[in-house]
Amino acid sequence: MEDYIEILQRGEADIHFVHPDEFRKFVRDKKNRGLEDKLMDVKEAVKKYVKNGDYLAYDFSSLTRGPQSLIREIIRQRKKNLWVLAKFTLLETVLLAGAGCVDKIDVGFLGFGPYIARKVQEGAVKVYDYSNGSVTYRLVAGAMGIPFMPARDLLGTDTMKHSGGIVVRDPFSKIPVALFPALNPDVSVIHVQEADIYGNARVYGPTVATLETAMASKRVIISAERIVETIEFREHPNWTTVPYYCVDAVVHAPFGAYPGGTQGYYEMDSDHYLKLTSIKTEEEMQKYLEEYIYSVDSHEEFLEKRVGVKRLRELIQNSQILEGYR
Amino acid sequence: MEIEFTDTEFMICNAARLLEDNKTIFVGWGVPQVVAILAEKLYTPNIVQVFEFGAIGPQSRTPFLRGTMGGPSNTYRSLQWCSMNLAFSYAQVGYIDYGMLGAAQIDRYGNINSTMIGDDYSRPKVRFPGSGGGNEVASYCWKTIIVMAHEKRRFVERCDFITSPGHRMDGKTREEVGLPAETGPFRVITSKGMFGFDEETKELKLIGVLKGLTVDDVLDDMGIKPLVADEVVELSPPTPQELKTLREEIDPYGLIISKGAKFKVEL
Repeated sequence: MEDYIEILQRGEADIHFVHPDEFRKFVRDKKNRGLEDKLMDVKEAVKKYVKNGDYLAYDFSSLTRGPQSLIREIIRQRKKNLWVLAKFTLLETVLLAGAGCVDKIDVGFLGFGPYIARKVQEGAVKVYDYSNGSVTYRLVAGAMGIPFMPARDLLGTDTMKHSGGIVVRDPFSKIPVALFPALNPDVSVIHVQEADIYGNARVYGPTVATLETAMASKRVIISAERIVETIEFREHPNWTTVPYYCVDAVVHAPFGAYPGGTQGYYEMDSDHYLKLTSIKTEEEMQKYLEEYIYSVDSHEEFLEKRVGVKRLRELIQNSQILEGYR
Repeated sequence: MEIEFTDTEFMICNAARLLEDNKTIFVGWGVPQVVAILAEKLYTPNIVQVFEFGAIGPQSRTPFLRGTMGGPSNTYRSLQWCSMNLAFSYAQVGYIDYGMLGAAQIDRYGNINSTMIGDDYSRPKVRFPGSGGGNEVASYCWKTIIVMAHEKRRFVERCDFITSPGHRMDGKTREEVGLPAETGPFRVITSKGMFGFDEETKELKLIGVLKGLTVDDVLDDMGIKPLVADEVVELSPPTPQELKTLREEIDPYGLIISKGAKFKVEL
């Protein structure tokens, strides 16, 4: 056996990469292991933990349990030069790009529609292509404190050429294998059904990469439909999705996933979703941002004045399946 | 009797007839999932759907709703809810029999493009959403089925961008690039016919055409010349039972099945 690993191919993408020891030191020095109250207003959380130029990740999709109220607050505070992980996403990246918050996007799935496509075609945002699996493996490596994750995705494709992965000859099996660099986002925003004031968080339903995203990120903002007592976690420890010490801020955000749905609470608002996905021109986008984000001061005002109690009640009424979500 | 149906209805029915019972199938939103639900209702009651966001074996509710992918109706009564990492790991380790994908372009070896059209990656003529979980499906599942509208421009000698792997990528075999052995595209189902891949050369091979069409009708609408099987079978149009199930139970709002040209065939 040779005493080196043969590199067969290198992807061309710039990567956001944090040395595992740098990340460990950040965790040692900056992550609070005390059971301290982290409940705060969404404005304060975003102001404190999302900085211009940050690498931003979020979990699940625009349709289900996406962190939409946190995304709207990031837009409202007009954060700039973000590098965004677009995994399994339809609306978040589109809105962030429309608001001029984003420079670069690592793509797993870059939905939705003509607006974001045009931004890429014009070169207004720079994209690096991966797949949903390979970006998830990047988060898994980041969450494990290791520099990369080997996997068999993207082999033989142009996606590999434009990703940040490399292909090596595996010293064990001798076959080519892809190595995906660990991803440690500066900040991640995650919406959950239940959290306590310390940041213990519980997700019902498929998780996508909730825990991996939280563990891999330097700063984590959790928004929750409901704030519950810590005893709820101690009674069912199997159901704790994210433990408190990964979390920096907890925001109480009923309807936090709107216009998407949250399982066990409310269904998605299809009309609002269609309104968003039918945006084509810059003018339409700016009109939407002004009406639904800039012109309201908070998530509460957005719900009151732009959505309304009647519509919210309908969305609750549409959410009648509770199996698995309680 | 005459039967009328859309391109999409034909593709869905034809794909549903291909699946075997007691197998697992990796599906995404839209046509692939409607195929799995139709197969479950009519042909393969024990087929197990797997979703990338982490749902195994749901008994998806119908009618099929817009935007329900990870929501309660679609993931209803799953056997397991898990993470994306696990869902793809089940496929990478070999548990997933079928994968089903769409494609903007396909080439002779079954490579597919769902990323961009054009020759400049940094300034594409048309940008699509990219791989999503498509690359994993095409890389890991034992048999991948590709479902796509039959249009001349979609069949190309070399995809503008290979998003997900076929049998040969720029001359290299799947095993040469490190992909799992004995995997790859199994069938390509279009709105006019069905293709397999030659056992020796792994090239696209026409094996079936929709009743009422000739082999030349199908070949004329392709940007490449595929191999043609010695015996090309006639593919039946959707049966009344298939159409009733699709239109009344699964997709009464026509979110998926109403797309594409309308077709009439004399039964």
